[in-house]
Amino acid sequence: MLEKFRSLWNRIIRPKRPLVAFPEIFEHFQELLQDHQRVMELVADLGEKSGGEYIFDRKYLVDTTEQIQTLLLHMVQGLNLICANRYLELYSTIDRIFIPLESELRGRLSLSRDMPLVVPLESAPLDHPELTGGKANNLATVVQNLHLPVPPGFVITSRAYRLFLEHNQLEERIHAWLLDWASGEKDERQTSRQIQYSILAGVLPQEVASEIKRQSEKIGANLAIRSSAYGEDGELTFAGLHESLLNVPPRGLVRAYKQVLASLYSPEALIYRKEMGMLGEEAAMAVLAQVTVASRASGLVHSLDVSGREPDCLVIYASWGLGRTVVEGRTPVDRYVVERDYPHRLRHREIAVKETLVKPQSGGGEEVAAVPPGERSLPVLSEDAIQQLVRWALALERYFKRPQEIEWAQTDQGECLVLQCRGLAIPKSAARPQQDLCETCTQYPVLIRDVGVVAHAGVGSGPVAQVSSDVELDRFPEGAVLVTRYTAPWLARIVPRAAAIIAERGSAAGHLATIAREFRVPTLVGVEGAADLLPEGEKITVDTKQRVVYAGRVRELLQYELMQSTAFEDAPEFRLLRRLLARIAPLHLIDPTAADFTPQGCKSVHDVIRFIHEKAVEELMDLPRFVKRFKGVQIFTLVSDVPLGLKILDLGGGIDPEAQGNSLLPEQIRSLPLKALWKGVSGPGVWSTEPVPVDFKGLMSSLSKTWAESTGAAAVSGFNLAVITQTYMNLHLRLGYHFNLVDARIEPDPPRNHIYFRFVGGVTDLTRRSRRAQLLAKILSQYHFKVDTKGDLVVAKVLHLPQEDMEHRLQALGRLIGFTRQLDIQLRSDEDVPEFVDAFFQQGVPTPETKAQA
Amino acid sequence: MKNKMKIMVLDDEPIVCKRLKPALEKLGYEVDTFTQSVEALHQIHQTAYDIVITDLKMKEIDGMRFLEEVKKVHPETEVIVITGFATMETAKQSFKKGVFDFIAKPFKLGEIQEVVSRAAAKIKGPVS
Repeated sequence: MLEKFRSLWNRIIRPKRPLVAFPEIFEHFQELLQDHQRVMELVADLGEKSGGEYIFDRKYLVDTTEQIQTLLLHMVQGLNLICANRYLELYSTIDRIFIPLESELRGRLSLSRDMPLVVPLESAPLDHPELTGGKANNLATVVQNLHLPVPPGFVITSRAYRLFLEHNQLEERIHAWLLDWASGEKDERQTSRQIQYSILAGVLPQEVASEIKRQSEKIGANLAIRSSAYGEDGELTFAGLHESLLNVPPRGLVRAYKQVLASLYSPEALIYRKEMGMLGEEAAMAVLAQVTVASRASGLVHSLDVSGREPDCLVIYASWGLGRTVVEGRTPVDRYVVERDYPHRLRHREIAVKETLVKPQSGGGEEVAAVPPGERSLPVLSEDAIQQLVRWALALERYFKRPQEIEWAQTDQGECLVLQCRGLAIPKSAARPQQDLCETCTQYPVLIRDVGVVAHAGVGSGPVAQVSSDVELDRFPEGAVLVTRYTAPWLARIVPRAAAIIAERGSAAGHLATIAREFRVPTLVGVEGAADLLPEGEKITVDTKQRVVYAGRVRELLQYELMQSTAFEDAPEFRLLRRLLARIAPLHLIDPTAADFTPQGCKSVHDVIRFIHEKAVEELMDLPRFVKRFKGVQIFTLVSDVPLGLKILDLGGGIDPEAQGNSLLPEQIRSLPLKALWKGVSGPGVWSTEPVPVDFKGLMSSLSKTWAESTGAAAVSGFNLAVITQTYMNLHLRLGYHFNLVDARIEPDPPRNHIYFRFVGGVTDLTRRSRRAQLLAKILSQYHFKVDTKGDLVVAKVLHLPQEDMEHRLQALGRLIGFTRQLDIQLRSDEDVPEFVDAFFQQGVPTPETKAQA
Repeated sequence: MKNKMKIMVLDDEPIVCKRLKPALEKLGYEVDTFTQSVEALHQIHQTAYDIVITDLKMKEIDGMRFLEEVKKVHPETEVIVITGFATMETAKQSFKKGVFDFIAKPFKLGEIQEVVSRAAAKIKGPVS
């Protein structure tokens, strides 16, 4: 890695030239575009692999990461050749991004200095169970991905534990004591006593202590302190072996932390680890600190009846006061049996006589108290609370792919909270189906088979709910199967509620597929005709692993999937892939005028290629340089009724080879994206019928000056240029005081296609310009663009649609560019926005919906 | 219940075994997985497998030698070789005969299920 960097560095450092000649620029720009495309494909590949459809190994991850790095280095080199070495800093950006990626691949990151010592649940890094422990990793996922209410808290990570051991020179001593025990020199009680005593006598490193103090002050309440060991709540259950301390006041935190750490070495825990053959491995413990909820009631939910008597039901256990009563199971508690199928009917309930409850003691700790006689035989849970707990349990089970045990609490105000969730241990006898699954499945009618692309592998079942516009989103029932013609970004909101997704369009690398993977929803895309084959409300079972859609609820298959030992999503290789993706795929750099749009601002691979593309294009568009550089290069001016004076630079196949002279007619355009866009721009009524303000003509005339004339002051406003090939277009349009950028590729192979649109500026105040941004966002999202707005900046993109759909969108974009060119002046209030949205769609051109059905 | 076909999966990356086992069991096969070629070789002498799926590049015994050993003990066993995309061509050249099919990593679950079904059909072939 470092050598690669050096050799490239040496090649780059050569005498600076004032300006790079055109043929060279041309070549580097072409290469940049190709590398850009290739990196995006590799990133998309990685994303696709996280959906479970593929079997990959670590070698694939190593190879792909390496390929991406090589391409990025090449791109950085290319950009610096174009821009006369103004972006050499990008080499250290690449190092900054790839050094942690490489440590991830070598498995060394979790305990490195990049990782936090103490971190709140809402920002704890996910997919690092070895850092935060199983319990806290689960809870952080519940908070961050499932958005269920969880009492606030923070994790003291296993890195803090390591630091504590180091600080007190405990590591080797513990190791030696354990060896004495293993060799039979000492018994477990003596060993445990020695280790625990030295942990309790240890001093917390200053940085850990002050972080704990800071986080607990932020929360400002008494805390429950629990172990969150790696493997706990996972395949191995240490349940009850490690200590939990409840209702700990801030001053007692350090002591409580050490007590929980010490419980890692209790005699019982030592014996358990020895039996599990884990004694040789280093024990590392994270500790979870969470607000103690002064609950009126609490209990457990089992998403499946472990007794096996009612396999189609969930079971809720409930009692008054704090949760210990139910978890310890020493006294009778309420038991509610509820059907797993919607509408989750309460099948029966057993209301116990509850004589005692556990409550927080003032000054810390807990105490047992008597339940007032009048409340002893009352049911703890209302129907509403039952329904809420059932929905949560099923959502957690859908996400974690395994039956769940959930600890919950209810506040005095009646609000329910998730305290813990973990995989539910199912007796082996209940786990194995007796009959042959293949044969069973053949008894269900198949509605769809072997069609579409797997975006996320899995099995889900529920009633079909078709969604074709964003007004239907709120009606989407929890646990339904989402069936949609498009993969519009606004669908993202209901993805977490879906049991499965079937989309007629889209690719495994698209936005909907990415969201589906984030929420682990079994998803098939590109299933043509699905909306007609799957009627609203029909119960179906979707097995995306086999690409089969069955009529009805295939219980045996759903049961089989739930009983597998580990969900692929939780295999270490998939966690690793997601951790890599988190450093590769997200795009943070949206606004090129923002202060952090710099090499230092790049946080991911995607940011780097975005930055490079932007800067390469910017260099190409820089007028003074352009004028010098493109002397003698064939630049065409588009001759049309639309007074744009568009300059066209063809990099290959973009125009009619017969074209002569300096001017070009619209029909001589061969570039697919420009052709489509121009069709919109020059459509009837787009450019001419709107009333044009007095100063507009003046503006336009200054713009339509040819680039050779526009020197000096006019140069500031830039010029209108399209850089094209047969399948690619990068278009800069400056209309008045606002600025449009369209970057698009249209090829026969949908995964290569994209449209990227950026719009910024205007003459009016920011409020009116922001209104126009709102308007654009509304219209664009109807065309299934993913839209981000920030003040008056609009950034929209749409990916991977077939050629025809892409052309249709570019045409709409062309109309939109014309429609909005002076619109900020007319948008006097927020109420005007919907009116103008309607006006746009009433211009007589097909709307996205009518087009979709055509 | 009919006799299930027996499949052995050998790959030194545990994830391959972990994912292939349930995917093939779901189709009704009995699946044993190994990440150590020496152990797998030992097992070959204990149990007759209908189908063996093996990685090519492994520590100790590589896929090619493993194939030879399998064929020596049970000539009727069908062997499917999985290999990295880069080594696919060399793999095809070096195994002139004896391999039922090759699959390049990473591969789709559906692909290997299809190849295994074909191998199973070939084994059952003369009976039906």
